Amino acid sequence: MSSSEPPELPEEPSEVEYRRPAWVEPPADVVPGIVPVELILARTPQRAIGLTGIRAYPTGFGCTLHLRLREDIPGEQSTFGAFNMFGEGVDPAGEFADWYLRFGVGFADGRKATNLDHKRDLDEIPAPDPPTLWLVRWEGYDRLAWEVNVWVWGLPPPGPLAFVVEWPARGIPESRVEIDAGLVLEAAARAVPIWPDPPGR
Amino acid sequence: MSFFEPLPAPRPPSDYRVSAWARGPEGMVPGVVPVALLVARTSTHAVLIDGLLVYPTGFDFDLVVRRHPGQPRHHPDPRGWHELRLEVRFADGRSADNGPGRWPRPHRDKPPDPPWLYQSVSGPDGGHVWLWGLPPPGPLTFACRWPAEQIPPSQAELDAGLVLAAAARATSLWPDPGPS
Repeated sequence: MSSSEPPELPEEPSEVEYRRPAWVEPPADVVPGIVPVELILARTPQRAIGLTGIRAYPTGFGCTLHLRLREDIPGEQSTFGAFNMFGEGVDPAGEFADWYLRFGVGFADGRKATNLDHKRDLDEIPAPDPPTLWLVRWEGYDRLAWEVNVWVWGLPPPGPLAFVVEWPARGIPESRVEIDAGLVLEAAARAVPIWPDPPGR
Repeated sequence: MSFFEPLPAPRPPSDYRVSAWARGPEGMVPGVVPVALLVARTSTHAVLIDGLLVYPTGFDFDLVVRRHPGQPRHHPDPRGWHELRLEVRFADGRSADNGPGRWPRPHRDKPPDPPWLYQSVSGPDGGHVWLWGLPPPGPLTFACRWPAEQIPPSQAELDAGLVLAAAARATSLWPDPGPS
């Protein structure tokens, strides 16, 4: 081989084995059980926050938040000044703290997960203790309506399961709606494996 | 004299509104269909319909792609995402799909005849879909195919009565007349 020939390059891997950790998304191989909850967590004459459609898995549950504005308000930010998709950019303890929409779930044993929890790295080791909260989908249509899909890693123990919101700058005080966690546990038990046979059989 | 110019005045509220046929009514919380549907399954992939949320004018759902945990995950190919074809069929024969076609232009064209399907998100894990129009009673069929991932034509049915019952449970957030 002459020295003028380029060195052989290592082959590019054609496949990627990487998977996101269990605490940021539902298990890939399960059809969830559904809890048909249709909740209004908070409502003022101008704004409302709803929560619907719990999708329960053996490892946790998802749901959809509905952020609604009744009409345009001058100065209202296009994102409602609420969540940041990546959990960054807003310092909830800083100057804009009151503009930050707080959302969280509370379990009967006192554990909770909120969007004020510190941002986690996907490769965090060891994995965080459940429950944790992760924003999966964030979609706005115009200035009046936003939908946010949330994933909660960890199933609640029996007892009340609380959904809590607070939005100081928007006139929404801490507001809480509770459901029976048994509904989520029963739905998780109804979840069905997509591929019932273990790999390799 | 300040180095920085004075801040511009806040822009007045935009008059832009998403058309009624492109999303659910913004003043409502939807009703929930209490099932998720497995539409297609191969040894490597599955396609689900999940998060069915219903308004009096239509319904939202997630088109979910799942990959078998035992299979290596390929480099996502953006060209392939858009080849996951979805068709929703009503019992009276009407249907809507996410195939390529001309989109109506808000505020200029008249609303499309329902059913009409708008996929707002498309990616390697599926997408998010709004379907304008409610089905008549009878079977509501979700059909898909995805040649790029070797998913053959597949379908699953849902009792449209579950969708209609959920539509009846959608809640108006501000039922009183708006502030004058």
